[in-house]
Amino acid sequence: MGIMNFVPKVLDPVPGGKYVVNMVDYVVNWARANSLWPLTYGTSCCAIEMMSSSMARYDIARFGSEVFRDSPRQADLFIIAGTITEKMAPAVQMLWEQIPGPKYAIAMGACTISGGPFRYDNYSVVRGAEQVIPVDVYIPGCPPRPEALFNGLLKLREKIMKESYRNPWHEGETSKAGEIERWAEASKAWAAAEKIKDEEMAAAREAFKANPPEDYVAYKPVRVAKEAFPDVERPVVTEIGKSYKELYKIAKSVAPELSIFGKEDSSDETLDSLPKDLPLDVVVSKENYLKLVEFLKNDSRTKFEVLTDVVGVDWKDHFDVIAQLLSVEYGHKMFVRVSLPKDESIPEEKRATSLLASIPSLSSLFVGAELKEREVYDLFGIKFEGHPDLRRLFMPEDFVGYPLRKDFTHPHILKKPV
Amino acid sequence: MSNLPPGFREPSVEGEFEEYYLNMGPQHPSTHGALRLVIRLTGETIIEVVPHLGYIHRGMEKQAENLGYTQYIMMSDRQDYLTAIQNNLGVCLALEKGAGIGVPERAEYIRVIMTELGRIASHLVFYACYGGDLGGQTVLLYGFKEREMIHDIFEEVTGQRLTTNFFRPGGSRMDVPDTFIPRVKAFLAHLEKTLPDYDRLLTKNIALVERSVGVGKLTKEQALAYGCSGPVARASGVNYDVRKNDPYSIYSSLDFNVPVMYNGDCYDRYLIRWQEMYESIKIIKQCIEKFPAGPYRSKEKPNFKLPAGSFYAASETAKGLYGTYVVSTGGANPYRIHTRSPSFSNVSAVNAMAKGEKISDLVTILASIDPVIPEIDR
Amino acid sequence: MYTPSNPNIVGDFVREWVPNLVAYLPATVQGYIPSAEIAALINVVICMVAMGVAGIGPVPVLIYMERKICAHIQCRLGPMRLGPHGVLQLAADIMKLLFKEVYAPKSVQTFLYYLAPILVVTAPFLNLCMIPFGKNLQVADLDIAIPFIIAVNGFGILSTMLAGWASNNKYSLISGMRSGAQLISYEVSFALVLLLIVMLAGSASLGGITESQSGNFWDWWIFKAPVLGLLAFVMFLISSTAELNRAPFDVAEAEQELTGGHHTEYTGMAFSMFYLAEYINLFTTCCVATVCFLGGYNAPCIGIAAVDGILNMVPGIVWFLAKAFFMVVVYMMFRWTFVRPRTDLLMALEWKFLLPVNLIMLVLGFVFVAFGLFLP
Repeated sequence: MGIMNFVPKVLDPVPGGKYVVNMVDYVVNWARANSLWPLTYGTSCCAIEMMSSSMARYDIARFGSEVFRDSPRQADLFIIAGTITEKMAPAVQMLWEQIPGPKYAIAMGACTISGGPFRYDNYSVVRGAEQVIPVDVYIPGCPPRPEALFNGLLKLREKIMKESYRNPWHEGETSKAGEIERWAEASKAWAAAEKIKDEEMAAAREAFKANPPEDYVAYKPVRVAKEAFPDVERPVVTEIGKSYKELYKIAKSVAPELSIFGKEDSSDETLDSLPKDLPLDVVVSKENYLKLVEFLKNDSRTKFEVLTDVVGVDWKDHFDVIAQLLSVEYGHKMFVRVSLPKDESIPEEKRATSLLASIPSLSSLFVGAELKEREVYDLFGIKFEGHPDLRRLFMPEDFVGYPLRKDFTHPHILKKPV
Repeated sequence: MSNLPPGFREPSVEGEFEEYYLNMGPQHPSTHGALRLVIRLTGETIIEVVPHLGYIHRGMEKQAENLGYTQYIMMSDRQDYLTAIQNNLGVCLALEKGAGIGVPERAEYIRVIMTELGRIASHLVFYACYGGDLGGQTVLLYGFKEREMIHDIFEEVTGQRLTTNFFRPGGSRMDVPDTFIPRVKAFLAHLEKTLPDYDRLLTKNIALVERSVGVGKLTKEQALAYGCSGPVARASGVNYDVRKNDPYSIYSSLDFNVPVMYNGDCYDRYLIRWQEMYESIKIIKQCIEKFPAGPYRSKEKPNFKLPAGSFYAASETAKGLYGTYVVSTGGANPYRIHTRSPSFSNVSAVNAMAKGEKISDLVTILASIDPVIPEIDR
Repeated sequence: MYTPSNPNIVGDFVREWVPNLVAYLPATVQGYIPSAEIAALINVVICMVAMGVAGIGPVPVLIYMERKICAHIQCRLGPMRLGPHGVLQLAADIMKLLFKEVYAPKSVQTFLYYLAPILVVTAPFLNLCMIPFGKNLQVADLDIAIPFIIAVNGFGILSTMLAGWASNNKYSLISGMRSGAQLISYEVSFALVLLLIVMLAGSASLGGITESQSGNFWDWWIFKAPVLGLLAFVMFLISSTAELNRAPFDVAEAEQELTGGHHTEYTGMAFSMFYLAEYINLFTTCCVATVCFLGGYNAPCIGIAAVDGILNMVPGIVWFLAKAFFMVVVYMMFRWTFVRPRTDLLMALEWKFLLPVNLIMLVLGFVFVAFGLFLP
């Protein structure tokens, strides 16, 4: 601010003026440190704990921070509550840039420190908020308790009180170095420290062994007896709604090539031997898929009115797409499975980024199938013919590859693709 | 058609109306997290809403392929974090089916009490957010007040307030302390005193009634077509509750009702959650009466593995039908785990509900769906 | 030159002493010095300072009250750390806002963008000039005070709409349009309620209205016209809450829908101007309510001479402020209890309910006046 930058400049060279400058510094810092208005922002679990902290039990208002501003232009404090994903990162950056300075950021929770539980084997999570915006205080926990958030707030307050006219607030820098390299460097340093420690300790250990103190008792691990738990039988369950035999017969009348998934034959004995607590899982050809589901939906004996989900499975040589059907009226369920061979005509180097199979879309039968099929399209790269709006759902539009395929690779995934 | 942004497909309104687009989210106070909605409007009237998901897609299903089976329970905590404990149960049910493990009686009672407490906690948050999104800041705080008490119980039993990670195939991670039952009893006594107060504060409020009755209509046919479940579907007249229609655990031996309403508007979705809270109290009371002694879990298996095959279990969380689909090839890691999250289907119906309503109503509708975004994106 | 009709200690003192001081000057200069004008100018400056104090003075108290009352309604403590019970919290907030970076987004209309926060604080100060804080403690006792207040209140929405338009943000624009529609509507019933009081009191000056309520506490207009007064008071509460853009009728700000409404794009001091204006407005409206319904600076006498004697010993301004702050508490309880209606419902409430009821009340007021149906 104009005056605030100007006055100390004049006063500082004046003898005794630095006391005035120090005093002004203190007052300004006191105001900044005690009036931190957070931005209403939260993506996942930590946001709920952040909300809890402003609620009656914990009451962040005691610290003067209950003024949660919805507009970043009026906030001072960015509590980064929750995982940051690659798709969210630009938004987070934009929010940070819209906050007028001096501004501060608290990284709340393990995800914003390092990626937390999603650090490894993950393709979409940013490994820590410092990759995106500069962070002042880190609060560990998954999620941290509200008390921990308050502790972070007080730590930030200490940090602000150290600012002065000579060392004013300035925006920090984001971490440019990749996490892996930094970890590797750190582990080298640790190894070196360990080596020195071992060398230094070796003589002491020898001396201790040669001449132990009189009251020394060597440590012996004590094994606590394990509690014995009984083996409990699962309760006997009965089929809900129509029996598997009936359902199978009804379905077979439409699609003659129908078979049961994982079984060689489809005799009555096989149908009887199926576990009763799992839904009937039938395999149908791609041509009869739409016809069968439509029939099952409209037939008064089956009435599969709800498509609970569409699931894809990558079996290395082929895809399975499973339509999970549920009848609200009868209560029975059925999985209609289509086996889709991967398109072999696509050259090897393009396979990872191209659609490898196609299947008729169910969106004409169930409106809800639209989003569910978009998920399968997004994560497996299976084309749904007749889908009105086939776009990526979860991943950004420019994401390369289809993450749930078995051959998908990403720098963060440590395991080699199969 | 072609000049509309992706996702929009309604034809333009005839006449002298100017259309414009409004972007809501991913950071917006009433989208309950990182949900982004693009709204097409004339004036304040909504023509179409297109949800953009994936802002908190954390790739749990891919990551689970490199984890052990029981490690996915930890992942399920972070899906619907308002009732993490119910998600734990959903995953455990599928794993138990696969491994053929039974559950001792005491463990079943612990499960039912804990999940029903979780349901009350989630519905209290719904009540709080519904009031809060409609402008009643005080309601927001009242709802969270009682929820903290549930979290105290959770903390004592599981060691965590939010992400409980408590159930295991065959029972639970540890036994409940001796103080568990007295505390739950004391909490229920307190809740039965305070819930009518909260009911009186908000339910008959003229502004709330005016803003919710007839707003965000979802017919039964639409609810079924969108695959809605839980309170959202039951408010539209779909009488389906996994606890009743496909009972798991000991729900078949308990006496409770499934409230169903038929208008399908925001007010019914609000009322139905109130009734569910009372039903949950009823269930917990029955469980406390019969709470047995005995082992809290069945025999442990050191290296938990499933036989080759695919397994599916559905359970009813506070949001609706939570399904876990596990594919195993006999190895130590699941070949594929898929979660059917109720909020995903419920949110997909937001366009059907919001068409023709006002911007303020969209906030009401979103609050009445009560979505949890990480559960949608996983 | 405006000279007030009623005696005023400060004004009279200045008017008396400026010519006396001028008399000390050389006689040749004296003829050129317009002493009356100078006296008036000095009086104007005194009034401006006084209004500044009266307007901005209560704001920290009000904001502190708001935070504490809201906290206690919500079962929590509110600010506790700075000073005893957090009384210094606001000082920190204001100081921080002063030293925040101020910037305008790239796409705003800069002139209008910065004009709006200046305009927004003008209107409430104009209103404040009309308020009689005590006997003769008033800047100007206009005969048309009530129409003046109605007019100036209408001026207040200009800044909201300007801010909404100039911010180049769709949320702000919606908010500006909403508040425009809302304020124009509620202006009608706000004016009608005040006109009812004018009719009952037989005067449009606030001093006159206060004088008409002198006596015991049942001579206040809220009680004096049985039932009608109370009804009018409730009407005033509803329409003025909407006028003030305060919750539950804050559809323009509507945090959950519009992320802050018209001041979404404002930072630092510009934002705090809106904040400031909101609370000066609140205080002014409470003052108007006090004057029109709660007897202004009159002591709440109960008709027993001994007690009344003691009550009348307390200066009028104390009673006035006590009543005004009571009204503030009522508005705050309002805010933190109810949920917000939708915009169109708010309009329907005004045009379909409040307006007809107000018109009927106006007719009733005529009947009351004509037949003298007042408490003795």
